[in-house]
Amino acid sequence: MKLLPQSFGAKLLALFMSAVGLTQFATWAFIREFNDTQARELINDELDRTTRNFARVTADRNSLLAAAAATAARDYAVKSLFAGEDDATLATALKSIRISSTAGLVTALSLEGKVRASTLAAAMSDAAYADLVRRAQASPEASARGYGLFGGELYSLVLAPVHAPDIIAWIAVGFRIDDAFARRLKEQTGIDLTFFDPAGRPVATTLAPAVVRDLAAMLPALHEEASSEEAGLAGTTALVRIRRLAAGGDRGGTLALQYSLEEKLAPAAIAQSRQLLVAVGGMIAAILLSLAFARGVTQPIVELVGHTRRITRGDYSIRNRSYRTDELGRLSEAFDQMSLGLSERDRVRDLLDKNVSPEVAAQLLRDGATLGGEEREVTILFADLRGFTTLSEHLPPRELLTLLNRYLDRMSAEIEHHGGVIDKFIGDAIMALFGAPVPQGDAARRAVSAALAMERALVGLNAELAAEGRPPLAIGVGVNTARVVAGNIGSQRRLNYSVIGDGVNVASRLQSLTRTPEYRTNVIVSAATLRAAQTPFPARPLGTVAVKGRAEPVEIFAIGS
Amino acid sequence: MNSKPFPAGLRRSFPSLLVLCLLGFVGGAPRLAGAILVEIKDGKGQPVADAVASLTPLDRTPVIKVPDEPAVIVQDNEEFSPVVTVVVVGGKVLIPNRDKVQHHVYSLSPAKRFDIPLYKGEMKEPVVFDRPGVVALGCNIHDWMAAYVVVLATPHFAKSAAAGNAQIGDLPPGRYRLEVWHQRITAPVVREVTVNSDPSTQVISVTLRELRQIRRAPETGGGAYR
Repeated sequence: MKLLPQSFGAKLLALFMSAVGLTQFATWAFIREFNDTQARELINDELDRTTRNFARVTADRNSLLAAAAATAARDYAVKSLFAGEDDATLATALKSIRISSTAGLVTALSLEGKVRASTLAAAMSDAAYADLVRRAQASPEASARGYGLFGGELYSLVLAPVHAPDIIAWIAVGFRIDDAFARRLKEQTGIDLTFFDPAGRPVATTLAPAVVRDLAAMLPALHEEASSEEAGLAGTTALVRIRRLAAGGDRGGTLALQYSLEEKLAPAAIAQSRQLLVAVGGMIAAILLSLAFARGVTQPIVELVGHTRRITRGDYSIRNRSYRTDELGRLSEAFDQMSLGLSERDRVRDLLDKNVSPEVAAQLLRDGATLGGEEREVTILFADLRGFTTLSEHLPPRELLTLLNRYLDRMSAEIEHHGGVIDKFIGDAIMALFGAPVPQGDAARRAVSAALAMERALVGLNAELAAEGRPPLAIGVGVNTARVVAGNIGSQRRLNYSVIGDGVNVASRLQSLTRTPEYRTNVIVSAATLRAAQTPFPARPLGTVAVKGRAEPVEIFAIGS
Repeated sequence: MNSKPFPAGLRRSFPSLLVLCLLGFVGGAPRLAGAILVEIKDGKGQPVADAVASLTPLDRTPVIKVPDEPAVIVQDNEEFSPVVTVVVVGGKVLIPNRDKVQHHVYSLSPAKRFDIPLYKGEMKEPVVFDRPGVVALGCNIHDWMAAYVVVLATPHFAKSAAAGNAQIGDLPPGRYRLEVWHQRITAPVVREVTVNSDPSTQVISVTLRELRQIRRAPETGGGAYR
């Protein structure tokens, strides 16, 4: 099968390819989009969770620290120190509070917010606590949370009151936000975190230094209000969320959370590549299937086309060996039936040609085989093999038949050559018509010529027989011209084109007269025939004979030798 | 409240005013003494109880007479009662413990620092408050216990009742500094007033903050997880 664009196979292939290809591509694109959206949503959810977790963890830790600090500060002696003015002693008391509360930093402040003592020298600035104090003063719980940056280290702070029993002072406790803290948070959610101080310097992180550098460079361009933003970090794409560390104005710094988009998409990417593999496999399968299918369809068609051509040439031997049950199978079947029908008709025609003369066959095929007839002038020729009965006694049947056929073949050839129509063979006798079914103006002349030709042909045949060592044959021919009824004669089931009438009997009688030794002739024709022939044949009058069933005698002539 | 013709505080103060007028009238004697009714409200117009209003004469040195009998702040059911006590400078206060458990009363206020370690029952000697100022009393083992002793350098003072009214009488005419204090006041209210023989009313609006003391824990169960 050729893969021309016009071919059925190519069209089918294109159809299959586009159907499978489009479906696969659409699926691939849809799943990719879905995965990407899903990954982003999941990451955002996780970022949300981490943000909340950070707030929760920080709040809890601050609460615990505040409670521990408050418990330490409610010691009467410590309370007295907060109420008194001995800052040096107070500073040493803060150290034990820091140890017992596991805080990273403890600072004592007056009710007005002046730092009186701290466990961290860098944390002695009033300004660092001003906002906390202001907010604690205003809050019903008399406490506030915030952040402090001391000596380049970021602290989460909580300010708690010292009661005696009214609030007489503040105590600030805090923990350092460092790598360990960041790692602890990451353990809980799996999200990477980085803390930046207000100047944008990283102070704590779970990330590799290269990634942190990229993140720090990108920080000013990121938006706090965005749920997350895509960022290229050290060669990978991550979703980054930043949140200002609340409460503390510009002191809080920034928390950056990020999750690698590629990491999240990794399982999806595997699924996608497998899907792509399936898609390619599907395409190949589609190609093979469509080719096979196209072949399955076009092969029988191509075969049928070939068969059609052979049938056109008259070769009916082809049969489609198809076991299909579909439309093509039915087409093959119909084709075979058509071929069978055509061959049947041809065979009938052939048989017709052999059984009737081609002219009769043509007329039959043209006008159909119908009973009925017409009266017309026809020249009837009867030929009979002499001494056949004797011959049949000496020869085996098979040889006899062969010999007879050989004789009949020669005679028929001469008759047909002269435009006669073999009406029938009656044993070894031949009845032939001239001028029927096709009218011939010179039918009589043709008939006489045929009789003479038959005589000559028999001489040729006898020479052959002599060479074979067989005895010679002899014939008698009678020719008469008369008006007879011509037409199809017989039953509804079997018809013969023939002629009937008195003239036929006369012809037969003339033939039998050739056996009369006195006549010394093989061919006897009637006067009617000679007249009709209009050609001066060498005729020798034999007188008149009476024909059975006929009132008038018939004038007869011997023709030829 | 607005639908009522008078604020609750005013309506309640009418009988007191009436009594005062009657006293002045019945007393008959032309004593040169005035009276001031101080009505104390919070920012929402609600009467403020347990506020201390004091008048310090600006034209003269007040004569302070220390009462012989000490004031008493009882510790009962692990609470101080009353919560607010007003004394003049040099005033004495007894802080007996009527509970079955011990208390450790202390003050870390600059005006009077003292502590009485764990004890039960009566005190042999009262605590003398010899400097003006507000002294916050607490119990070292019961953080929620709180009481205030307001030590004044003037004999003219009154503590507001539930209706928010504080009546200061027997005032020689003249200029005074009116000062109002409350344990939850954000800043003491100070205003100059002139007293004559006619009683007058001063309406003082104060700004109070939330009570920021340690609250007494519920009797049963633990606190909810925060």
